[in-house]
Amino acid sequence: MLIADCGSTWTKILDTGSGKLEIIKTRDMVKRRDLHFDVATGHSAKGRCAVFRNELIALAEGALALVPDPDFSVVDVGGRDVKFVRFRDRRVDKLDWNLSCGSSTGATMELLGNYYEIDFRTLPPSADWINVTCGVFGMEKVLEQVSTGTPAEESIAMFLHGIVRNVYDFAGRPETLHLSGGFCENGCFLKTFAGYCDIKPLGRAVPLEGLKAK
Amino acid sequence: MIPEGDGRIIGYYGYPRRSLLAGARAAFGAELPLVDLDIDYGAPDAGLLPKATCSIITNIMNNAVWLSGRLAVVVAAVGEDKCDGGRNIAWLLKGMGFNVVESRFTGGGAGRPLVWSTSAGPLAERIDRIMETVVEPEPRGAAAQGPGTSGAPRRETGAIAAPPRCEPTHGFWGVPPNDFSILGLFPPTTHIYGWTRCVEAGRPDDLDLETFVDPGVPTVFFTQSFCAKQNLAHYLAERHGGLEVDCHREINDSIMAKVEAFIKLS
Ligand code: SF4
Repeated sequence: MLIADCGSTWTKILDTGSGKLEIIKTRDMVKRRDLHFDVATGHSAKGRCAVFRNELIALAEGALALVPDPDFSVVDVGGRDVKFVRFRDRRVDKLDWNLSCGSSTGATMELLGNYYEIDFRTLPPSADWINVTCGVFGMEKVLEQVSTGTPAEESIAMFLHGIVRNVYDFAGRPETLHLSGGFCENGCFLKTFAGYCDIKPLGRAVPLEGLKAK
Repeated sequence: MIPEGDGRIIGYYGYPRRSLLAGARAAFGAELPLVDLDIDYGAPDAGLLPKATCSIITNIMNNAVWLSGRLAVVVAAVGEDKCDGGRNIAWLLKGMGFNVVESRFTGGGAGRPLVWSTSAGPLAERIDRIMETVVEPEPRGAAAQGPGTSGAPRRETGAIAAPPRCEPTHGFWGVPPNDFSILGLFPPTTHIYGWTRCVEAGRPDDLDLETFVDPGVPTVFFTQSFCAKQNLAHYLAERHGGLEVDCHREINDSIMAKVEAFIKLS
């Protein structure tokens, strides 16, 4: 069975028979007319699968499959959205999904990172932050910082710190937070988050676990 | 709906006092249809209000301008039972030359028993029934609930009988949305709370009733964007572990997906 999580930037495809996980750019995936999934979730999956699953439900069920605790919170930070689920006694206690604002999502950071050729795995975290009330305004502040002499690395680490604070607030400021999505591979993001709570990366395949769970 | 043709109509918005609606009919014609100006009938955008205005308020203005040649009078809810938007728009309409009668609830009143808020059935249909009670005191089918408050048997006023009370599995809190499509996601066992319940109870200004929800019932707290009720929805959603949703004009796919997930997972 071919299952997929088609995010706005990256598509994760799992062949459940062989266990092979393929991660490709969504912009490449949409060009491949031959690709059709048995079960899929995500922004770009509609029309490319036999069964479409709601992303928040896939995340919740994936987190339940991966985390044994009775009470826990999980947040998935994507390119264009952020999803949050809190469980109590392994039942959903609260959830939220923000799609309308780039103040706590990854797309702007990826743009900045590409532009300044930043390696987020090795970027040192910053104790200072930029108030990212909006992804675009935040990006403007980074450009302003750079133009007034702050090194690009430091400015982007400050921007990332602003995003971390927004995500932490969005998740209700828990003591422990499980993280899903591409930011699990962003060392700077993880180290910055560790200043706020115990952050536990679950990797990029949490929604796929949710698709498998059914 | 808006009657076809170019005949005169009486417009109203919010939940005006029935005595004022009756007075408008006595003054302008007992046969004149009553038209709820809160609803989006597809009127052209009059362009008179800022973009960041509640859709319901924008509907009132657009409808009034669109129907201006037909409106004998606008009976306007301007008190605590509506909002500052309702009060301000009445002032604007008066200034534009509309004939406006202002209505304010000031607490008290006999109230009415709840029928549609606590029974089972399609949510959109039950909210429609409740909003009909603004001009039609007896909810259609209320006879199915037994005697009314006076003790006398209720009069059956419509073809559809009210279903019996059900235990709530979910809750919908808020005003009737500008876009009803979100309501199709809720199971029939959804209870109605917030201002819509206040309307059915005949107490549109009762903040205690408006902020009541049954504890433990997974509830979606819905508001129109740019409405002060967002403060209540935010607080109540935090307190009761519900889902806060606000929407401007049409409900988009992502809001539908969020509500769908909440309903399925809770
Ligand atoms: S939704 Fe809120 S702001 Fe809009 S008309 Fe109703 S009470 Fe007023």
